[in-house]
Amino acid sequence: MSGRRNILERVRRAAAVHRGDGTGADAVAERLRDRPAPVVPQQARTVGQGRVTQFLTKLEAADATVGRVSDIAELPKAIARELRKRNLPAVVRMGKDDIFQGLDWGSIEASVGVGRVEEPVTLSRAEYGLAETGTLVLVSGPENPVTLTFLGETHFVVLRESDLRSGFEDLWADFRARGLDPRTVNLVTGPSRSGDIGQTLQLGAHGPMALHVFLLD
Amino acid sequence: MSHSSPTTPAFRANVRAALDNTNLQAALRGQRGNFVRKRAAAREALPEFDALRDHARDIKNHTLANLDRYLEIYEKNVTESGGTVHWAETAEDARRIVLEICQSVGAKTVNKGKTMISEECGINDHLQANGITPVETDLGEYIIQLRGEAPSHILAPAIHVTVAEVEAAFRQFHDDLDPARDLSDIASLQVEARGRLRAKYFEAEVGITGANLLIAETGQSVIVTNEGNGDLSQSLPKVHIVMASLEKVVPTLEDASTVLRVLARSATGQEAAVYTTFSKGPRRAGDPDGPEQYHVVLLDNGRSGMLGTEFEEMLRCIRCGACMNHCPVYQAVGGHAYGWVYPGPMGAVLTPGLIGVEQGGQLPNASTFCGRCEAVCPMRIPLPKMMRNWREREFEKKLTPKAMRSGLGLWAWFARRPWAYRTGTRVANRVLKTLGKKGSFSSLPLAGGWTDHRDFPAPQSGGTFMDQWKAVRR
Repeated sequence: MSGRRNILERVRRAAAVHRGDGTGADAVAERLRDRPAPVVPQQARTVGQGRVTQFLTKLEAADATVGRVSDIAELPKAIARELRKRNLPAVVRMGKDDIFQGLDWGSIEASVGVGRVEEPVTLSRAEYGLAETGTLVLVSGPENPVTLTFLGETHFVVLRESDLRSGFEDLWADFRARGLDPRTVNLVTGPSRSGDIGQTLQLGAHGPMALHVFLLD
Repeated sequence: MSHSSPTTPAFRANVRAALDNTNLQAALRGQRGNFVRKRAAAREALPEFDALRDHARDIKNHTLANLDRYLEIYEKNVTESGGTVHWAETAEDARRIVLEICQSVGAKTVNKGKTMISEECGINDHLQANGITPVETDLGEYIIQLRGEAPSHILAPAIHVTVAEVEAAFRQFHDDLDPARDLSDIASLQVEARGRLRAKYFEAEVGITGANLLIAETGQSVIVTNEGNGDLSQSLPKVHIVMASLEKVVPTLEDASTVLRVLARSATGQEAAVYTTFSKGPRRAGDPDGPEQYHVVLLDNGRSGMLGTEFEEMLRCIRCGACMNHCPVYQAVGGHAYGWVYPGPMGAVLTPGLIGVEQGGQLPNASTFCGRCEAVCPMRIPLPKMMRNWREREFEKKLTPKAMRSGLGLWAWFARRPWAYRTGTRVANRVLKTLGKKGSFSSLPLAGGWTDHRDFPAPQSGGTFMDQWKAVRR
């Protein structure tokens, strides 16, 4: 533990340069209580239909695709259509999210569990969508195992339109109000990509090659 | 090249070799301007960008002034979520801590997301020396690991490697695959790497990632990636080790959000990176995946020594790479010439701070002081000013070469005597004008460093600046 003591001692000595008046502790407590956010960009403050439109525009700008579903019972059919269109096998891997319970999957082989090494199609529910950047917000747990987000070659994500938020500020406010505190929060903006070979962007680096969102009315 | 032994003291020789390396020059030419254009477009699209930069700077200044308190709060929150914080004073401490964790679970393979702190500490060499195989999973890091190289850019570690060289490396090291396979385009190369690494994700016992941010309020670590390799590296193995330096901490989620808003835009011109992941502790009861152990190695390695000094502002750096993307020196010589982990303007300031001015003091000299680095820095770090500070320290310690010191002495003699200075420049002006009738010189004695790469302009008619100034005023 001497490492801890030595580091903190050096840091404390150096910090004394800044706070000779000894008000530091109050300033820290105040900041953690008030969490000031004096600059919130306009694009993180959209409301109503404008918010939905901006979310969809930015999602597509990030190379994701999107479809609308009016009722969750329609989801299996919508997924079947996407699978055919993309020439994918009729399989889907998902977690135990309530929203997927009791759905009639028909000819689709639907399984529940974590991501495996070969996972052609995975399905998750996003806890929120962020209109600021067209971002999906997923939280880990048995409902939506985190590995499904990264191991699916094609990742399907269901998002309720009512779960759209404008920007980071109202997102975090909601997390706090609900006491939502998962092990991981995954912000996902489009399918995986890399520019490491020849500095040319290619989709599908390690994670999904395609990301498709079903926006639920 | 290994980072455990910096070649920074040989910077001049490194630069000469880099300028003569035609492959490197081709790779640098290929990407030149890409990052610059993308950042400019992202900035254009966000009217509040500069206001966010000011706010981000203020957040870090406040945090650094209270760093001890925020580190304690961060540690408390990590511990409460079931994780462990390890304090590493030096790179050696970090190596020991990481190895002990790996050995405690009998690790044979360790997967790594891109982490510059790990490069700084020489983690790979240390693991290897102790019989543990480190596997770099970031595509760029994977390529340079195959080639036995260090990263040449903090964001795009393989930016110096041409596509043909990637193909050659894959053919050499993936020798179990059909030699006649088609690897003629970038897509096929990426698919092959994806396949190789996918299997590796499931083999490792430990995953090491860096951290773009640590959040005091919640005890979360944050990684920002586009590939998803960091997330696979930290989600599949039994143990997740986060390697982060002290100054990564910010107070709240709102503060982290501000930094994220300027980070991706400054780095790649994206509004948001593909994956921004907030992690907190090991897997919970009921979690079907995620690591069983969560460790944070909190590294000092010289940073606390920069706090409270003229170099403190460097600790605001969020490693976006914008300074090197906009630097004429970096763009001409690439990252390896800098000889250690951190290249470009941020490296020229940080490296002497971390490995000492004796070893790193040459880097701040490699600057045209054009000021673009400071102009684009999202954290408004006065990089040129700090490079000048290092130059002064280097001069004070008498580390500058004798020829340069006596040259400066000579110049100072003239500079203090305006009559001599003016006479001298007038004579030099006439001589150069007479000799340079073509308008420029393609070679000049003692100025080969300039004329090997571009012509030196010859003085035009009208005399020295002072002569012209007097003539105009009259």
